[in-house]
Amino acid sequence: MSDDTPRRGSLHAVQPWLIPAALLTLWFAASESGAVPAYLLPHPVQIGGAAYSYLFGGPGAMPYAGRFWEDFTSSIVRVAFGFGLAVAVGIPTGFFSGRRALVNRLISNTLNALRAVPGISWLPLAMVWFGIGIQTTVFLVALAAFFPIYLNTASGVRQVNPILFQAGAMLGTTPMRRVFAILLPAAMPQIIAGLRLGLGIAWAYLVLGELTGVPNGLGAVIMDARMLGRIDMIVVGIILIAVLGRASDLLLHQLMRLCFKSARRLS
Amino acid sequence: MKSRLKLISPAAAAAPRQRILSIRGLCKTFPGTGSFQKVLEGIDVDVKRGEMICILGRSGCGKTTLLNILAGFIPPTSGSLLLDGRPVARPGPDRCVVFQEDALFPWLTVEENIAFGLRAPQRTVRQEVERFLALVGLTEFRSYLPREISGGMKQRVALARVLILKPAVLLMDEPFAGLDAQTREEMQNLLLDLWARLNHTILFVTHDVAEAVKMADRILLMDTNPGRIREEIRIGLPRPRENEAGHFLEICRGLLAKLRG
Ligand SMILES: Nc1ncnc2c1ncn2[C@@H]1O[C@H](COP(=O)(O)OP(=O)(O)O)[C@@H](O)[C@H]1O
Ligand SMILES: [Mg+2]
Repeated sequence: MSDDTPRRGSLHAVQPWLIPAALLTLWFAASESGAVPAYLLPHPVQIGGAAYSYLFGGPGAMPYAGRFWEDFTSSIVRVAFGFGLAVAVGIPTGFFSGRRALVNRLISNTLNALRAVPGISWLPLAMVWFGIGIQTTVFLVALAAFFPIYLNTASGVRQVNPILFQAGAMLGTTPMRRVFAILLPAAMPQIIAGLRLGLGIAWAYLVLGELTGVPNGLGAVIMDARMLGRIDMIVVGIILIAVLGRASDLLLHQLMRLCFKSARRLS
Repeated sequence: MKSRLKLISPAAAAAPRQRILSIRGLCKTFPGTGSFQKVLEGIDVDVKRGEMICILGRSGCGKTTLLNILAGFIPPTSGSLLLDGRPVARPGPDRCVVFQEDALFPWLTVEENIAFGLRAPQRTVRQEVERFLALVGLTEFRSYLPREISGGMKQRVALARVLILKPAVLLMDEPFAGLDAQTREEMQNLLLDLWARLNHTILFVTHDVAEAVKMADRILLMDTNPGRIREEIRIGLPRPRENEAGHFLEICRGLLAKLRG
């Protein structure tokens, strides 16, 4: 509450940018002084130039000029499909596993074993199954994002205070209302935590999926740039993925807050 | 259907119409580790419409268990339970509970919590919520969240959200036990005031002797292990009752001795 004063407010708006600014300054100093040679990490100005060309350059002017929007669209579609699939399967699975001990006993052993398998070990199999293209990436993204969504939803619905169900029952709630007016709102903070973790992992596995030789996508650009020795483009790709990952996280969080009262009020 | 038919026997028809709740031979046993724990044994209670009954007993004597059975949260091991002549099986808005602990929905505001159970046209809901906000004195706090109000205010919300449903019986499980002495007295007076105005039937559970003497028409004194109703004490003191009056203290002393003994 005491954070509402205007001065505090502006200070709070600045604070998240202090570390990025410090890192940039450090990078700048390291490049200017020659402490870090350009073949290891190019000068920030060079990266800025490469990024500008990648984002806004006319096609054909330089190898990567203007390609961003196409890569961006491909990647976003893959993340959206993969994450969407993970949500569609993960939330119901987590829900039933959290509410029904039988379901939990049936599936938790298997799922936790599968969870231990690193995503990269699925890659060769996924390529055999789905070939090279969107399907492999969507599969990997969905698989990786599923686990945190499933686990957090299950633990969220499991931990709802039973007295809230008693209160609901005596107030005459129908089974439908018990789920949508009590269970889900009460578990909302943990469901959101699972979704955010899942979305973060979705971006990581996007790049993994796109390393397989698809023609476009942010991961493809990074792989391509490595082959061509364009380290500046690798760094541009990393930064763009960081920015997009963070932006999508904020978007998701805000969207949940917009759609659900409990998301706004229980945090 | 059957039970209803049974009730139209001459005896039942002749019974005073105001008997609302009838508990017969209620027992409850919990499966314990290896053995069985008998928590309630042979509870017989008749409650008249509009009565304020206090169930007084030490911690662990089975008061909460009894209320949970009356509310329909858990089944009795044996015995019968009739509300208005119909057997009680499931929880429902005709038997509402004010819990000892905070059981409000933390993502709903005060007024949303009060409106939660009321299924009615929107206009009616708004009017009723308005009325009950005023009755418990929370009109100004209507848009606060439970975490933003005090313990006493939370219990007012808990009271309002069930009173709005006009339950046949109001079950209260040490509702004021977690409050400081002054707030507790305020809440007792509020409840007595609402009771006088709205004429509810109340089963009020407490381990506090003075609270029981202040509230009750009748006190049911419970034994521990197994939980049994040892004695029924009618409190005839005129209302409002003064905590400091000699007669009041005398009754308290007597009860306290019995509770210890
Ligand atoms: N679900 C349960 N399983 C086993 N024992 C229980 C259960 N609920 C209550 N008990 C036991 O029943 C006794 C009475 O508990 P309770 O009704 O909560 O007492 P009170 O509300 O009077 O303090 C206690 O000994 C408690 O351990
Ligand atoms: Mg209790």
